[in-house]
Amino acid sequence: MMKLEAIIQPSRFESVKDALREAGIEGMTVTEVRGHGRQKGHTEVYRGREYTVDLLPKVKLEMVLPDKLVNTVVDTILKTAKTGKIGDGKIFLSRVEEAIRIRNEERGENAL
Amino acid sequence: MRSAAKTRSDVMSITARLGLRAVREGQPVATMQGSLTPLAVLGPQADDERQRIRSQFESGVGARETVAALCQLADSNIRQVFGEVLRVHNTPSDGLCLLALGGYGRRLLFPYSDLDILFLFGNEKAEQSFRPLIADFARTLWDLGFRVSSAGRTLEECKRIEEDNVEFHLALLDRRFLSGDSELFEKLDIRVLPSSEKQARPFMLAQLHKLTKDRLTRYGNTIFHLEPNVKEAPGGLRDYQAAVWLRQVAGGERGIQGSSAAEEELASGAVDFLSAIRCFLHYSNARNDNTLTYELQSAAADRSLGISDGVPRDAAEWMRLYFRHARTLNRQLLRYLEHKTITPRSLRQRIFSAARAARMEPSNGKPFAVRDGMFELLDQHALSDRAVTFQLFTEAASTGIPLSRRTERSLAYIMKHPEIPAHNVEITWPVLRAILGADYPGVALRPIQRLGLLTEILPEFARIDSLVVRDFYHRYTVDEHTLRTIEHLQELAEPPDSRGAHFQTLWKSVDRRDLLIFSLLLHDIGKGMAVENHVAGSLEALDTAARRLLLSEDEAAEVHFLIEHHLDMSATVQRRDIFDPSTISAFANMVGNQERLQRLCLLTYADIHAVNPEALTPWKADMLWQLFVATSNHFSRTLDRDRLHAHDELSLLEQIRAHIPNIGTEEIERFLEGFPRRYLAVHSAAEIAAHLTLSRELASEPVQTELHTTAHTFSLTLITADRPALFATIAGVLAGWGMNIIKADAFGNAAGVVLDTFHFVDLHRTLELNPTEIGRFRQSLADVVNGKAPLEPLLKDRDLASRARPPKVAIDTRTNFDDTSSEHSTLLEIVAQDRPGLLYDIGSTLARLGCNIEVALIDTEGQKVIDVFYLTEQGNKLSAHKQEILRRALQGKLE
Repeated sequence: MMKLEAIIQPSRFESVKDALREAGIEGMTVTEVRGHGRQKGHTEVYRGREYTVDLLPKVKLEMVLPDKLVNTVVDTILKTAKTGKIGDGKIFLSRVEEAIRIRNEERGENAL
Repeated sequence: MRSAAKTRSDVMSITARLGLRAVREGQPVATMQGSLTPLAVLGPQADDERQRIRSQFESGVGARETVAALCQLADSNIRQVFGEVLRVHNTPSDGLCLLALGGYGRRLLFPYSDLDILFLFGNEKAEQSFRPLIADFARTLWDLGFRVSSAGRTLEECKRIEEDNVEFHLALLDRRFLSGDSELFEKLDIRVLPSSEKQARPFMLAQLHKLTKDRLTRYGNTIFHLEPNVKEAPGGLRDYQAAVWLRQVAGGERGIQGSSAAEEELASGAVDFLSAIRCFLHYSNARNDNTLTYELQSAAADRSLGISDGVPRDAAEWMRLYFRHARTLNRQLLRYLEHKTITPRSLRQRIFSAARAARMEPSNGKPFAVRDGMFELLDQHALSDRAVTFQLFTEAASTGIPLSRRTERSLAYIMKHPEIPAHNVEITWPVLRAILGADYPGVALRPIQRLGLLTEILPEFARIDSLVVRDFYHRYTVDEHTLRTIEHLQELAEPPDSRGAHFQTLWKSVDRRDLLIFSLLLHDIGKGMAVENHVAGSLEALDTAARRLLLSEDEAAEVHFLIEHHLDMSATVQRRDIFDPSTISAFANMVGNQERLQRLCLLTYADIHAVNPEALTPWKADMLWQLFVATSNHFSRTLDRDRLHAHDELSLLEQIRAHIPNIGTEEIERFLEGFPRRYLAVHSAAEIAAHLTLSRELASEPVQTELHTTAHTFSLTLITADRPALFATIAGVLAGWGMNIIKADAFGNAAGVVLDTFHFVDLHRTLELNPTEIGRFRQSLADVVNGKAPLEPLLKDRDLASRARPPKVAIDTRTNFDDTSSEHSTLLEIVAQDRPGLLYDIGSTLARLGCNIEVALIDTEGQKVIDVFYLTEQGNKLSAHKQEILRRALQGKLE
């Protein structure tokens, strides 16, 4: 099992979500986040006041996947989240040791 | 607080401990120690009786009878088990008695409610010796299917008030003897509690207020939840009980006093209706769950639950009945909550309080005045005149001072009694505008809605009255959501959290606030109409409302825009890349101008915020703000990018021609050609036609002016051929006459005609108090602009007066140059402290240094001016050297 974390543009979230659903992925955790990578922020001035937008809004998706689905999901996100511009985000993958469904204590991929 | 054990135990272990043995069902219960177990007999008996009560409820027996029957069942089982336990333990009940508390004490036991029982001991020794007996008693009841929630106290302990456990003392108010030592109960009931309750009255009352207010706050202070909790939410059964307790603790008798017979009847009906729902929920969920979910709303509506007329209703209609009953109970409670908490007062406090009570803020001849921070009626009969009623609402909206419950009740009384005929019932748009455009429109709109007046003014609003629209995003009914949007905006005067901080400025400075609030009132009306897209329905509702209220064409168009696009800003924030300039450009094109952007942004802020308390996350609020700022800057930085090409504006040409008889298209095109697009965005076709008409007179009179007055400001339009220092000259004349410019824009067309608009406040009320001066003012303006009269004498006297006044808020001066936003001009943005004559100083400095103003946008926010000038020098952008000279010159003038 792999844990996938994807940081994407908020504007791409709906498309990514729909594409993942079509790919058969139903469960995910979504968080509104702020941050920056290479795409640094900028300063905006409105009516004489400066607003520093150094942390840009992003959406973080998290899901734990059976190994066989990892490539499909990564491809789907790459395809739908990419605009080709700086700030499109990143995908992180990490190995997951165990998953346990609290309701019935099922374990492993059955718990996903 | 000590609780007796209430975990389910093994039946055999209890029977063993009690020394009993199992028997077959139907055999008689033995009365001697060591004979038959009561469990094997009582258990099925209790189950059968429960089933019988449930069947009766399901076949139409009322909730009142159902909860009483369940209570009787519990009473008889408790008495029997208690008797058995005493017998098995071979002990008399001296020194121990059982009391029913809370709802059970009031003989209201819902199917899956806990039995609140108090074990009252004569002393600590008795407590020790009865402990094993109580454990057996509680476990046996549990095994019989009763959910026991028990507490134990000695008589001595009951004298003390437990300050951290006011709920226990409230439950004790509904005490009822169940079984055991009756003399002990009498000691408690007659000797101990009356005196300790009297002593603790102020504390209890204050705590009850706090508990109730906390509970109401927890549910957002509204009855209008899509899936309400019929016990705890505002309008639920707890509201009724809290009102009873408030009356009881305050020293009155049990039962609500101070309500009229009709109100009593309404409350009683509401309690019956909600009790029926609660029984139904318990039976349906098989647990003490009081949430009226969508599924159960449909099921309850299908069986016409709580209604005796037998008329079938759909779930939405049935829920409207629910909200009507909930509103009755909630109003009753709020009336009691409004009474001040009683606290012991010293003589000095009593004297001062008496003086305060006698003192009311003067009413100035009005039939209402402010007392204790609320509007109270002085003359109830005056309110049969609706004009007076709406004067009261207008004052509430302007000051933020709410109507007292008593005032609202009086209004309701007058409205419901046909023997008091109402006068002036027709409410016009100017009257409504005054409320909607005030600082606290929600303070007036709430009572207007509660009293049913909102649907008199806006019958369209009836379509969303108590309307449940099922989704998992909204938490409130549509009408509640709508009023909340308006309340979230008025909160921006002092934002309760960081989410509103940025939007505060927008709320304070928004133009035509009345149109924004009117849009909010109508934006979701379509949800109550049989249309595919609710926006289309809301626009339909606007059409009828605008025609009836006689909104002007421009006003209706503005509201139309806001309703039509009320989801677009939110959609742009969530589904578009707001850091992409093309997104901003497209969005700005859709919105059109800064004023409208401000209204749409506030509408979006309020609409998201009112969905549910968590919907407007700081993240979303931030995104919305960033879209606003980017679009606003786009407007001010791209003004001269998009110039009008009149032959492309066929529809506009037609509209203008409709206003001016016998005019050729070419003449209109000549006038429009080259104006910035903003000119179209801020002026209607009728206004443009009026400008064109003025411009046709330039040949005979080279300076054309038009002056309008609105509530507090004047609006001057001046049209003339372009000439050096024109903007500075006009600003100078206005300053000379003592006018404070709060907003202005200056545009020029390709033919060299300049059109300047100034909005100003007449600081000394010269024009208002002396209408004849208006002619002299216009002539003076024309003469100075034409060079027939000098400007300096006008300015000389004003100069000294204006500099004498120190500013209330210190604003740092900033001058920024921007060479990148415009292809043709250098943008100069100035933020500075406002003062009379400032614009003249800036304008004359620009003119003196040879800078031509291509476009100007002047705005004021409190004591801060925010001016943007598009400058050129001999047709080119300003050089870096020129910018530096200008910066220094302005610095000298502004500081």
